[in-house]
Amino acid sequence: MSGHHDDDGARGAGIRFEHVNVTYPNGYQGLRDVSLTIEPGEMVAVVGLSGAGKSTLVRTINGLVPITSGEITVGDVSDGAAADGAAAGETYRLSTLRGAAQRRLRSEVGMVFQSFNLARRTTVLNNVLVGRLHHTPTWRSLLGAWRADDVELAMQALERVEIVQKAYSNASELSGGQQQRVAIARTLAQQPRVILADEPVASLDPPTSHVVMRDLQRINADLGITVVVNLHFLDLARRYGQRMIGLRAGEVVYDGPAADADESTLEEIYGRSLTAEDVLDAPPAVLE
Amino acid sequence: MSAPTLAAPRPTTTQDRPRKPAHVGRKVLWLVVVAVVVAAFWGVDISWDALWDMPGKLWHYLGLMFLPPAWSQLPAALSATMLSVAMAWFGTALGVVISFPLSLLATRGLAPVAVRWPLRAVFALLRAVPEVVIAVLMLSVTGLTAFTGALAIAIGSVGTLGKWGYEAFEAVDGGATEAATAAGASRAQVMRWGVWPNAAPEVLAFWLYRFEISVRASAILGLIGAGGIGKMLVDNIQFRVWDVVGILMLVVVVVTMLIDQISGTVRHRIITGRWEVPVVTALRRRSVRAARLEASPSVLEDESRDGTVG
Repeated sequence: MSGHHDDDGARGAGIRFEHVNVTYPNGYQGLRDVSLTIEPGEMVAVVGLSGAGKSTLVRTINGLVPITSGEITVGDVSDGAAADGAAAGETYRLSTLRGAAQRRLRSEVGMVFQSFNLARRTTVLNNVLVGRLHHTPTWRSLLGAWRADDVELAMQALERVEIVQKAYSNASELSGGQQQRVAIARTLAQQPRVILADEPVASLDPPTSHVVMRDLQRINADLGITVVVNLHFLDLARRYGQRMIGLRAGEVVYDGPAADADESTLEEIYGRSLTAEDVLDAPPAVLE
Repeated sequence: MSAPTLAAPRPTTTQDRPRKPAHVGRKVLWLVVVAVVVAAFWGVDISWDALWDMPGKLWHYLGLMFLPPAWSQLPAALSATMLSVAMAWFGTALGVVISFPLSLLATRGLAPVAVRWPLRAVFALLRAVPEVVIAVLMLSVTGLTAFTGALAIAIGSVGTLGKWGYEAFEAVDGGATEAATAAGASRAQVMRWGVWPNAAPEVLAFWLYRFEISVRASAILGLIGAGGIGKMLVDNIQFRVWDVVGILMLVVVVVTMLIDQISGTVRHRIITGRWEVPVVTALRRRSVRAARLEASPSVLEDESRDGTVG
């Protein structure tokens, strides 16, 4: 993994869920028999109420939440014909993935969080370089003696989200929107094949939400990285997702083009009529 | 109509009113505390007569000590203090080096229970034993030297620093940790970049604070003969050289307060990111107030002018 500048597109990995169940130690069932395939380079919006399993779904993809049964495959998910997938990189099976292989997968799957999850008391640059940790020897990372190549990569990532001038500021000095863009730069520094975003705009105001969503959209379009983004706001999901997956009580209740989802499908997903709180921009009158 | 009063018809729901709590435990506790205090007074066998002429004697000895103190002994007192401070500094530094990895191993989420709990027990044990006792126990091995004192301080520091360390690491918000984990970092890397940046200011401040404590402890360690200011103090008290005792007291108090102030200022800078030197801050506050006073007449003028125009 030494080639840093191979941004030649079409690097996204596919993701396949096969009869995935997740039961938490307290007995709560996060996912019920979820089967779906996400193609390399797709941008998928996952919608549903709080507790519907959105966070669980994205967290199973990088193994932060272990699956109870079924199988998740990340990498080459083309049926049978694996011959042409030689350039696609490693393929991971989550049900048995542990230790070093799990960290290798995580290094290829970037994650964006609702609360940004930056180390607030260190610089923006150091936070972005967290995305390079997997490729950095332990002694270097403990001393903070980053490779010049990695620093360059981190700077490029910050340029892509247009916040490079803050590289040496403390993360705590940034606004919420800026912090989220730093978090996106951190995932970009991983040179990931997949980006998972768990409610990335839930802590942001509407204009900033659009900036962050456009960043994700551009990354998906320009770099061909597969993007799976959890959203609570339906208008954002329809606007930025190519495909929408609706979850309700841990089950997939909708899977189709985001543009085709109308109010009745959304009410089906939510199990109730829509309210003004389900959309970011539109006034209640539009939906009622 | 009139406002509802207590005489108004009561709601028909049958709510059971709670019984007034008896707080038996609380009463028993008070009884025990009082009993202990009374017993303690009986136990220490106070000689009330001595207490009666204590103020007079106190003045007498204060006079012997400070009218005037033995200024000629100032250099010797200072060098003895420096030895005490050196003892504290070396002991704390050693304590930091030992306690840091141990506190990591005592942190939930970083080490298994089988490692964590024994370590925590060791920290608790070390905290329970005063430095003086540790030093006395070590005397037979390392002898009556300042090094013994430093080692005693180091061992004592491990108890407090270890506990403060793992508490600080556990208190760190889990977000950065989760992010580093999700990026494929190893456990050590998660610690370095997920936990340490957010815990570092507190931990550094703890180290300095522990140094302040150690400075005081080092003076006490001198009393048992581990060298430094405490030893000089106890020697001079034994031979009733009160004016030297006076100068030693002065030096101890001044140096300890000075170290507390400097260390406290640095700690404040580490935690808040701003320098706040006590004297300078007071001056700046005064100048700000003066500037505001100077500015205020014109402000008042502006306000009145606005008022008349409006």
